[in-house]
Amino acid sequence: MPTRTRRLLALVVAPAIALAAVVAVTRRGRARGLELRPPGADPVGARGLELRPPSADPLSEAPAADVAHAMPRRSRAGLTLLAAPVLALAAVAAFAPRSGSTPALAALPPPPRPALVVPRPVGLAPVRDASRVAPVRRAVPALAAPGPGAARVASLSTRTPEGTTNVVELLGTARPERSGFWQRIRLAVLPNGTTGWVPRSALGGLISLDTRLVVDRARLRATLLRDGVPIFSAPIGIGGAGTPTPAGEFYVRDVLTRYRSPMYGPIAFGTSARSATITDWPAGGYIGIHGTDQPGLIPGRISHGCIRMRNADILRLAALMPVGTPVIVR
Amino acid sequence: MADPTALPQWLERFDRDGALAEAACQLTTTRRSLLGLAAAGAGATLLADPAGAAAAGASRSDVSILNYALGLEYIQASFYTEAERLGALHGPLAEQAHVVGAHERAHVAAFRKVLGAAAIKEPTFNFQGVTEDPAAFRRTAVALEDLSVAAYKYQAPRIRSPAYLQAAIAIHSVEARHAAWIRRLAGVLPAATAFDKPLAPPAVNALVASTHFVSTPPQMTGHAAPKFTG
Repeated sequence: MPTRTRRLLALVVAPAIALAAVVAVTRRGRARGLELRPPGADPVGARGLELRPPSADPLSEAPAADVAHAMPRRSRAGLTLLAAPVLALAAVAAFAPRSGSTPALAALPPPPRPALVVPRPVGLAPVRDASRVAPVRRAVPALAAPGPGAARVASLSTRTPEGTTNVVELLGTARPERSGFWQRIRLAVLPNGTTGWVPRSALGGLISLDTRLVVDRARLRATLLRDGVPIFSAPIGIGGAGTPTPAGEFYVRDVLTRYRSPMYGPIAFGTSARSATITDWPAGGYIGIHGTDQPGLIPGRISHGCIRMRNADILRLAALMPVGTPVIVR
Repeated sequence: MADPTALPQWLERFDRDGALAEAACQLTTTRRSLLGLAAAGAGATLLADPAGAAAAGASRSDVSILNYALGLEYIQASFYTEAERLGALHGPLAEQAHVVGAHERAHVAAFRKVLGAAAIKEPTFNFQGVTEDPAAFRRTAVALEDLSVAAYKYQAPRIRSPAYLQAAIAIHSVEARHAAWIRRLAGVLPAATAFDKPLAPPAVNALVASTHFVSTPPQMTGHAAPKFTG
């Protein structure tokens, strides 16, 4: 097409397209009461502007067509208004004579490929058997109720009898007036099952867990679940008639390795459970989960209250069970 | 005589809502706070030594910058994840934590993938209750997002590889959107100034250290002879 003809077409066609678009939008706007409001008049308040239906998953990346369908008519009208001059410009560009800058643009190198690709955001999956523990950062009394005036239930130290950091299972929070945040915790004291309240500030960072160990005393079997799914099961030895393994809800306090004590096998977990019958045992009579140098006694009711496993089993369990895991003995 | 603990004027402007100012005023020197951070076991996080690091095609300084960014992303990802898990937030604030947390976790995954063995490990965090209290969460989120935007802005011109620069800019603009979103929810201007200021690592580290969010990991493994009932 000769240059003169293209110029002529651009001058005629582009304004015509823009005019038609504006007229069409104005008509629709009148019919539906289109009004332009300043940004400050945004009625959505704190939710801010959104280009998706409120019920949609905010992490989903809807295709462009879906987003357009989700837009209100007013937004579509606004877009059309915006599109009109763009169309006109496009028409001018299409019909206008070629400028001398096009070869220069073509000579530009392509943009570099990004060195890292950020994957699509993935929301947190719901966790079954979710629990939390936190280390004790300063020694405090555990109280019967949230607030400084409540009765003392037990003393909480920063270290376990084994010298490790004392972690406690978190059971709930409360915020009494003018007393800050308080945390209800499971206590490793007799009677088993005792709980108490401590200031949140006495505890360190939260550790989230999705594991749970179920000790079945009738079947002489321990099963570890992760997110509600069994991932480990093994026969166990438990307390005999005079020294029973206590029933209840406890948690793993620590794990001991590389010690010289064959009767405990290669690994020993400390728990918050305590023997109700052997109270004069060194360190207080805590119940452990550990290996053994007498594997032939397992399964059986042969211990002083501890949960014994064959060494191969306790090593497998140690690779799967983090400290803090709740222990359910039934 | 000038108060040695006072924030520089430009830093005060950065900390527009004052969320970090109080804690930062407790600092005597930037160096002391940096040493405190390192002593907490998180020195590697924000003062990453790239020695031995070799992300494919990345220069030594680029690896250092990527690890620096990863450190900030770790803080944000853990912060939002913990807040969402605890469930103390509701309404628009919960939605912000849900969406932004997913973004920050994606950023962490991207940096860890590209850095491979050179990636710094995630430190232990203690958010000290701010993830359990909506008002404290909101203030802290504003501070963290503003901090992140300013830190990326400072580092971007120092990235040598155009490919890494492009990736960093892609994340930087998202962090700016996060900052605007949470500022809106906090009732402060989403964009308060026409030009944003960058924030150099010493100031970033000082502010992070002042929060005491990076903590010593608990020692949960011992080697003492067991004294369980047996």
